[in-house]
Amino acid sequence: MLTGPVRVGRVPAGTVRVGRVLAGTVLAGTVLAAGLSGCGTHTAAGNVITVSAGACGTGWRQVTAGMQTFQIRNSSIGGAEVDLINPASGAVYAEVAGLGPGTTRPMRVDLGSGRYAFRCLIQDTDPLTGPVVRVGGHHQGAPAILPVTTDDLLGPARVYHAYVSAGLTTLVRQVSVLTARIRAGHLAAARAAWLPAHLTYERLGAAYGTFGNYDTEIDGRPDGLPRGLSDPAFTGFYRIEYGLWHGQNARQLDAPAAKLDSDVRALRGFWPGMEINLLDLGLRTHEILENALQFQLTGHDDYGSGTTLATTAANITGTRETLGVLHPLLAARDPGLAAVSAGLDRLSRLVSAARHADGHWTPVSKLSTIQREQIDAAAGQVLEELAPIAAMTEPRRS
Amino acid sequence: MAAPDDATPGEHAGHDPAVRDPEVRDPAAKRPARGERVVTQPVPDDGPHDADAGACPARPPRRSFLRGALGAGLTGAVAGAAAGAGAGYAYSSSQAAPPGQLFDANMVEGRLPAVPFHGRYQAGILAKPQRQTIMLSFNVTADGRGELTDLLRTITGRARFLTAGGIPPQAGIGGPPSDSGVLGPTVVPDGLTVTVGVGSTLFDDRYGLAARKPAGLTPMTAFPNDDLDPAQCGGDLSLQLSAGSQDTVLHALRDIARHTRGGMQALWRIDGFSSPARPAGTTPRNLQGFMDGIANPDTGRAETMNSLVWVQPGARGEPAWTAHGSYQVIRLIRMFVEFWDRVDIIEQENIIGRRKDTGAPLDANMEFARPNYTLDPTGAVIPLTAHIRLANPRTPQTEANRILRRAHNYDRGIDAVGDLDMGLIFTCYQQDIARQFVTVQTRLIGEPMADFISPFGGGFFFALPGVRDTRDYLGRGLLA
Repeated sequence: MLTGPVRVGRVPAGTVRVGRVLAGTVLAGTVLAAGLSGCGTHTAAGNVITVSAGACGTGWRQVTAGMQTFQIRNSSIGGAEVDLINPASGAVYAEVAGLGPGTTRPMRVDLGSGRYAFRCLIQDTDPLTGPVVRVGGHHQGAPAILPVTTDDLLGPARVYHAYVSAGLTTLVRQVSVLTARIRAGHLAAARAAWLPAHLTYERLGAAYGTFGNYDTEIDGRPDGLPRGLSDPAFTGFYRIEYGLWHGQNARQLDAPAAKLDSDVRALRGFWPGMEINLLDLGLRTHEILENALQFQLTGHDDYGSGTTLATTAANITGTRETLGVLHPLLAARDPGLAAVSAGLDRLSRLVSAARHADGHWTPVSKLSTIQREQIDAAAGQVLEELAPIAAMTEPRRS
Repeated sequence: MAAPDDATPGEHAGHDPAVRDPEVRDPAAKRPARGERVVTQPVPDDGPHDADAGACPARPPRRSFLRGALGAGLTGAVAGAAAGAGAGYAYSSSQAAPPGQLFDANMVEGRLPAVPFHGRYQAGILAKPQRQTIMLSFNVTADGRGELTDLLRTITGRARFLTAGGIPPQAGIGGPPSDSGVLGPTVVPDGLTVTVGVGSTLFDDRYGLAARKPAGLTPMTAFPNDDLDPAQCGGDLSLQLSAGSQDTVLHALRDIARHTRGGMQALWRIDGFSSPARPAGTTPRNLQGFMDGIANPDTGRAETMNSLVWVQPGARGEPAWTAHGSYQVIRLIRMFVEFWDRVDIIEQENIIGRRKDTGAPLDANMEFARPNYTLDPTGAVIPLTAHIRLANPRTPQTEANRILRRAHNYDRGIDAVGDLDMGLIFTCYQQDIARQFVTVQTRLIGEPMADFISPFGGGFFFALPGVRDTRDYLGRGLLA
């Protein structure tokens, strides 16, 4: 099953708004006098910022530090994105995206002392940067974040692609062991082989969207199928788990095992030609664990083996891998990265405590209240820490 | 069981309306004509105020808990100043009106003024039950005393902002929106109060607080008619969010939970409501159809509150930090309303001791009349087992047993036989649980009412002293 919800980002799969090097004219610094020194009362209703084919960000009137609301009006004939940027670095303070022709939308921002400009990205035209405006005083406003471009993401995507390749190779080998044991009728041995194979798959969370239908075939749930657990379309790891832990015999499990075996081989075969959606890398940094919270920590995806905490541990590994490939981009952007790391360590430590020396795992339903609360709290906390990364790493035009 | 009417004796000596609860003394006078604006008192903080206005906005961090609690104190700096720092709550008529007083008109407008957050006492304790409430219990998952302090600072910071209202900080491109947006782009105060209590389990060996436990704080006592579900009992912290409408309390809950995920986990939760007065000007009814809380002590009298509700500075056996806090008893009580509705009116009224229509004691004509038990020694008029008579015998000896009732109704679906699961979130405040709630409840053991109700959850907590100003936080005295 698609373990990561498919999100429609503003950037369609694969294709990203082409990152043209700033071709617009940077109008030399028109300095508008700063009014107050640090804070003031203004709703800036008068600050209507107009975007048109030839102009970007005209209309600044009173410019003071503190909370400001700009009314961004698109007078062009195409859709537009308008960013408020630091003209020196290109870092973005605020954005209004998907601004239709003829429409006006507010942009709220806490302006600190410094230099600002609007940058307009109108559909099918080169980016345009408006006049530079200086805000005086000594107010610390909202921080700006350097946008991530498609090019920035290509390297991480390549590294992640290789990680998945290696994982799929291991997966094919482990699934063939599982299949052989089922075929031979060695069901106890098959139960032992099921978990490592499943966990290998569960470590590849950022790629599920790319896997497409294979993900449903390999790791789908019976939810939503007309005949539920006995529906012929219920295939993959959970189907086999259900059979192995509910007294089904080798004959009943032979076909599902053969199908899983052929699906993972086919996936490995196609993988070299599959491209990772660049948007997915950032999204999955929190979505993998969103799914773990929803389906594993609740016990929803326990089809008999009682190993959803093992799955959670695999999902933590998958999350760390995704963060690892993005680290070069995040280090300069996310001040919460240390908290993310500490949060994952905490969650990992709590989850691992459910693994016993003989390798079996405590099912979530058997955790003590305190253990469960500690795990759920740590999962919720690290998800909050992870959430900003998707926004920060969304590929943007520059 | 202290289910419907007044487990609290009214302390009023006579029928003189002047000594009654000012909140209900002359209800008609409080109700403006349709369309007329309520101008009871100046309200310093009427409605949402933009963070743009007034002082320099300090940009709060998007998350303070475990992302550094530094910002927690800053969050409400703007709001707090406007909300009137440092003042006590509710005694002086020059204070902002308690939500109840402006209730009718503002309820219709869907907009209640901010209730000042800062003060000697937590603002949600004396306030009359608001239209909507959420009652939760949490277990604390914070790792050590430092994280527990972060947790309470974070709750304080969020409460300070949410009760005052304002515009949430903008996330820019650096993350998802900082606010759920459930209340629109500007967070309205809507009379929100946030009340926090601590349970006895917080004083175990985890945080080194054993020596600071309030003297009378124990796990909840079980009574003979109880059917307690452990999953809905106790907890390290209680949190009550009350406001004029449901979206306001839900917004507050989502906000607080979002900022405290690592520090606490909800153990049980129940949503409640307080009905409009029917007819207008009377005490709101519970789901047995009887008025609930008629005989509450007068919250407008500091002297009464100091003898019944607030732990006093220097109280014998109490750690110093407990001064100006109050013991909070929460009892979740199912009412078997189908059974109740099959009982004839004479029996219902004899069980309660009051008229169902007017709320009057059975020996009088008016809702606020004081029952005269000395003239009825055998219970010929008000049975000796009537709820109001057992709960409050109205003798000099039982005066000190009175409690402040702050109950809400709850309604949550159906049970296994298709009957309605509804009842009462019985909440009361007192200076001493043993002397007050437990004594009253012990008198009620075996009352005829017991057949129609079933207490299934709740807990004993200690509602913390108030937050004095922008530098203070909930539990500072406990943790310092």
